[in-house]
Amino acid sequence: MKIDGSCHCGAIRYEAEVEPDDVSICHCADCQALTGSAFRVTVSAPEEKFRLTAGKPGLYVKTAESGARRVQAFCGECGSPIYATSAGEGPKTYGLRVGTMRQRQALMPSRQIWRKSALAWVPPMDHLQTFPDED
Amino acid sequence: LAVKIDGSCHCGAIRYEAEVDPGKVSLCHCTDCQVLSGSAFRFAVRATEADFRILAGTPKIYVKTAESGAKRVQAFCPDCGTPLYATSAGDGPKVFGIRLGTARQRRELAPKRQFWCRSALEWLPLIPVAESCETQP
Repeated sequence: MKIDGSCHCGAIRYEAEVEPDDVSICHCADCQALTGSAFRVTVSAPEEKFRLTAGKPGLYVKTAESGARRVQAFCGECGSPIYATSAGEGPKTYGLRVGTMRQRQALMPSRQIWRKSALAWVPPMDHLQTFPDED
Repeated sequence: LAVKIDGSCHCGAIRYEAEVDPGKVSLCHCTDCQVLSGSAFRFAVRATEADFRILAGTPKIYVKTAESGAKRVQAFCPDCGTPLYATSAGDGPKVFGIRLGTARQRRELAPKRQFWCRSALEWLPLIPVAESCETQP
């Protein structure tokens, strides 16, 4: 499925080809902070299927408790989160932030991770493949 | 019955504290909130100017203009991108809409109202909230 999106101010635009059954929710504390919300909604795209068509995001390298480093890309003008990807060399996979996509209504999550840190009022969503921590 | 909260952006450059009314916790499903969170909805609590204090750092400000023409200040960390609050543009006393995903006490606060349900993502299950509005209150 072809998707496209942009940050709120429009400085950054992208397009990608994604698998609609690859949408996931992440309830980890990092995702709660970086969205300012309850959880993250993401769909992944390999390097060759993701293209920035305008602008250059700001990059923040997040170090998890495990020591794992992950690049978080956001618009430096309006703050919209755009994607996360691996730090360092090697082929990249992009975790695209579904809220910034024009087609977000069509992208239904099929799994949720870090359910053990979900906020208590978030419905259980038991119909999704559910993992207590990472998948 | 106000509760004290405190929080920070992910990288820690910006820290804040506030006194908030747990009855003023809300979700917003508008498309602006979807884009600016990169997620399904926004989770926020209101605090008056007198009850909100930045303890460290200076957020970057983005002034968003809604379809209605209303301008609103969106504050985020320039280093890590974490959204921190929104408030009114221009003069006059301010009310801050603090992004609760950034608050240490986020687990203790549940939404009481939700707005813009008409643009909620269709897959989202019903969230038990006392008051739901199709648009804004």
